[in-house]
Amino acid sequence: MSDALLQVDAISKSFGGLRAVTEFTLRLAPGDLQGLIGPNGAGKTTVFNLLTGVYTPTAGTISLAGRRLSGLRPHRIAQAGMARTFQNIRLFGDLSVLDNVRVACHLRVNRGVLSAILRSGGSIGEERAITERARSLLRIFNLLDREAEDARSLPYGDQRRLEIARAIATEPRVLLLDEPAAGMNPQEKIELRELIRKVRRDFGLTVLLIEHDMGVVMDCCEKITVLDHGVTIAHGTPERIQSDSKVIEAYLGAPASDLPPRAGGGR
Amino acid sequence: MTLDQRRAAELAPSRAVAALRSAAPLAVGLGLALALHLGLDASDLPFHTKVLVDVGINVILAVSLTMVNGFTGQFSVGHAAFMAVGGYTAGALTYYSSLLLWDSGDQHGGFLGAGEWLFVGSCIVGGLVAAAAGYVVGLPSLRLRGDYLAIVTLGFGEIVRVILQQTGNVKFTADEVREAGFLDTATSLGGALGFTGVPTYSSIFWVYAFVAITLLVAHRLKFSTYGRAFLSIREDEIAAEAMGVRTTRYKVLAFVLAAGFAGIAGGMFAHQSGATLNPRELGFQKSFDVVTMVVLGGMGSISGAVAAAAILTILPELLRDLPHVWPAGVLVLALGLAFGGPKRARFALWTVGVTAAIEAIRFGARRLGVNLADYRLIFYALSLILMMILRPQGIFGVREAWEIGPIGRILARRARRAAP
Repeated sequence: MSDALLQVDAISKSFGGLRAVTEFTLRLAPGDLQGLIGPNGAGKTTVFNLLTGVYTPTAGTISLAGRRLSGLRPHRIAQAGMARTFQNIRLFGDLSVLDNVRVACHLRVNRGVLSAILRSGGSIGEERAITERARSLLRIFNLLDREAEDARSLPYGDQRRLEIARAIATEPRVLLLDEPAAGMNPQEKIELRELIRKVRRDFGLTVLLIEHDMGVVMDCCEKITVLDHGVTIAHGTPERIQSDSKVIEAYLGAPASDLPPRAGGGR
Repeated sequence: MTLDQRRAAELAPSRAVAALRSAAPLAVGLGLALALHLGLDASDLPFHTKVLVDVGINVILAVSLTMVNGFTGQFSVGHAAFMAVGGYTAGALTYYSSLLLWDSGDQHGGFLGAGEWLFVGSCIVGGLVAAAAGYVVGLPSLRLRGDYLAIVTLGFGEIVRVILQQTGNVKFTADEVREAGFLDTATSLGGALGFTGVPTYSSIFWVYAFVAITLLVAHRLKFSTYGRAFLSIREDEIAAEAMGVRTTRYKVLAFVLAAGFAGIAGGMFAHQSGATLNPRELGFQKSFDVVTMVVLGGMGSISGAVAAAAILTILPELLRDLPHVWPAGVLVLALGLAFGGPKRARFALWTVGVTAAIEAIRFGARRLGVNLADYRLIFYALSLILMMILRPQGIFGVREAWEIGPIGRILARRARRAAP
């Protein structure tokens, strides 16, 4: 499949003797919305950290639109078009909501630091364009009326949404969402599903989603990859994943055949 | 992919407006410096002038260190070392050039005369040399996270001090300099005794001209896309990097800028009247003084650093002859009650308590015939402790003076109305 936007070929990562991820392979075509699930400690976030350059893979390659990313520093990978959110929210707490998004516009800036110090006409223009873009993103995420507040003072659900807005501000092609629904109430989860679909459509994004909330994953994703102990144990449509015996075993800890029929059968 | 450049060009002001907006603040700053200079000159207050020069130099130091410790959240404790590098470079340049050019190490020419331009040029060269030193120190150590920078900068400060203490005696005549050649002269910086004889050029005008430049650069940096990138490193380095911020590069950039301005401040210090450039005076004690100013002002607050530098420079002088504090107490009380937040009652109680205590001490000392000036360093320390209890986040916290309180609320409302 040469039309893949993000191509991950058999990446592995070991920390000393611990093999966190073993030969993880993934292909995302433009516009895909895929899920990555697995029990706690399966290596999902490690995969995200490998994709975004926080860790360098011990083996294997990652390429985005034909460009090799493995081994690059995280900021270069962001520049190449990969953005992410964090499982344990990492907003710039003491900065305002607006500034959080404006920071993420920085990597697309043309003018140098001297231009900023002289406050040249060009830098003022860029500054205004950044602010305009940041505000238009905040409007989409319903955060515009809180733009002056410190990010840390936002309610939890708003912080999650601000993280997504900030990631999109980097103008990514691939968006990695790490448990965006964690800590949200049922109503917020429903809104989040809509939001994910909407940003994917409006910004032409390709999305990879880590999520523990099966409702969100099964509803949103076209394909799902399941990790357990760093190994890919299943890959396919939500229906197939739900009835896959290995997946059930990984989550429930016993072979499907050993379980009473109701728990073993797909819902 | 880059930012929508066409939109940016549409939003940019016209060339003339942009040029005016770029230059006007500096012109105003230089004008104010000149007015202050002429005003003090006319009123003949040598002691006040000396204290104000000290305040200006410390403002440059504190604001430049704010770029590192405040904006990017790194912890440098070697700022005085860059001050020393810049100060010795500038001092030696002015002094030895004066010897060669005018056959005398004394002041040459009047206000804005040839000697003053030599001094300004030397200070700029001193700043550049300090910035280069900052690059050499920062490049390897800023790749690391955490306390490593503190250790490296502390070590660098000691290295600079020891090297300066090993330098040879100052040369006194142009012939000596010619005979010795460049390298020998460049290492004749007075050793442990200090570099005496640097001509006095640091006038109110020049010090405050550089204060204006420092403030302008720091302010424009902070409120630009680069400043926000700096601040994001302080807030969360991993997230900043993931959002495409080149963290190592910007940490080094902030460090180099800060070192450069510290070097200029060192130049001003070297050319101060009655000052001896001494390795020990520019040791880690001085570095910690500057760190204290940054912390007291609030991490990342430029106005906070200015206020803290002014307070910490003037306070020890004020304590020589403690004036009545109740008028200031009443003023603070009134402001606090009028504009204070929900904790205003507690604030008022503290203000009344502290004011009463100081007045009581003053009264008691007068009655008992105790000279309070002897104990001023104790009061200095006590006031720092009090400050840390009352306002641990610093004077203005992470904000600027105009971003908090009633002015901040008005500005925020205006910004919201301007938003589309």
